Amino acid sequence: MAGNGPSGRAIPASASERPAPPVGDLRPAARLPLLVLGMLSLLVGVLAGLARLGWTLPPLAAGAAGWHGALMVSAFFGTVISLERAVAVGRRWAYAGPAAAGLGGLALIAGAPPGVGQALSVLGAATLVMASLQVLRRQVATFTVILAIAALCWLVGNLAWWISGGIFAALPWWLAFLVLTIAGERLELTRFLPTPPRAKSLFLAIVAGLLAGAVVAFWRQGAGLALFSAGLLALAAWLARYDIARRNARQQGLTRFIALCLLSGYGWLAVAGLLGVQGALLPGAALRDAALHALGLGFVFSMVFGHAPIIFPAVTRLKIPYYPAFYLPLAALHLSLALRVAGGLSGAFPWRHAGGLANALALLLFIATMVTSGFRGRR
Amino acid sequence: MTSETTGALTPDIEAIRDILRRVVDPELGVNIVDLGLVYRIEPGPDRLLIEMTMTSPACPMGDMIIDDVYNTLAPVLPQDCQLDVRLVWEPPWNPSMMNERVKAHFGW
Repeated sequence: MAGNGPSGRAIPASASERPAPPVGDLRPAARLPLLVLGMLSLLVGVLAGLARLGWTLPPLAAGAAGWHGALMVSAFFGTVISLERAVAVGRRWAYAGPAAAGLGGLALIAGAPPGVGQALSVLGAATLVMASLQVLRRQVATFTVILAIAALCWLVGNLAWWISGGIFAALPWWLAFLVLTIAGERLELTRFLPTPPRAKSLFLAIVAGLLAGAVVAFWRQGAGLALFSAGLLALAAWLARYDIARRNARQQGLTRFIALCLLSGYGWLAVAGLLGVQGALLPGAALRDAALHALGLGFVFSMVFGHAPIIFPAVTRLKIPYYPAFYLPLAALHLSLALRVAGGLSGAFPWRHAGGLANALALLLFIATMVTSGFRGRR
Repeated sequence: MTSETTGALTPDIEAIRDILRRVVDPELGVNIVDLGLVYRIEPGPDRLLIEMTMTSPACPMGDMIIDDVYNTLAPVLPQDCQLDVRLVWEPPWNPSMMNERVKAHFGW
């Protein structure tokens, strides 16, 4: 919004139509193609993940199997997070972020030389960094600094991906981008609670540990990723203890649903940290699939499930009213992920194989639930 | 907006504040007035000025919440009254701006 500053908008009080968007912002309808671009990366990214698990898929998806991580983190989350930030700062140039990240995903899907997708992802991340600095200019606070650091992590990860040509160097930075973006937004909400100063110091120490782990991983991968994972574990404990979600879980309706999404996600973040401390994030580790998906699906997507009903309408102005049926995809996500992680822990590949497909179906169920609710909301 | 108030309201600050309590932050389940986000309500003869803030400049929900304010207030204002909702960032929101009931709710 916010880009219109104190200038405000005036409409005749009798008018039922919405006021014009702030000067310099993109109309909600014009933001939709960017969202569609991100969703395309999500779709092909998920199919690419299934191809990696050995499911037979059309050539387009099978061909993208090597890009699963890049499509999910940089192309899908990169697009939606920078779109969300662009809406928040309300400046047209900020939409170059989601456009570049989304087109980067399209380049990977279309089979363009990897450098094209990588360069676009760097451009997208650099734009998100600028948009985050714009937020910082408006308010310097711990949480706005954390959000800017998260954007920088994405930029470092994309540069590492581009320069090294592989995703191993990028991995901790990409994960830090997602984790710190969420952590920064959660930190903002803890301001409603009487949070003790030592908790704030602890939060900063945990973030410093995560970042130190990601840096160390450039030279000593094992030690760096272990430190990074210890940071994930500590962050999960911090969020479970200090996040407002625990209090909101006693509310009702959407507020309670969001809180339960988050709290269940913190459980998966702890699982990812625990596995990572034991080396599960290392290339070729047997539990790598379990650790990465505990984080990416269990933690990050739980948060997405909770916030889509408020962020999607904020970006598009299409309302998604809350229904108790929202719990169905959440339960499906957790159960299918439990099957997949159990398959990883026990070495039972058929469980991982089936769990992975069920994960994809849980995401599909989630989208179907949101679309159904959106249509019911229009009536 | 309920129909019984349509067109009947004389803009007075407390009545407007009460109506704005229908605009709720979905993440917190608390309305924007009790959260202390509404800084100024200034009724004039032909204009109602509202200044409000958001707790985070990184939150994309600001524009939507302002729309909710418009959609909640516009139907109850007289036809010739202009509604002017402004988003301000000064002073930055802080927890002391919440009312006592909400503070108690959050454990202060």
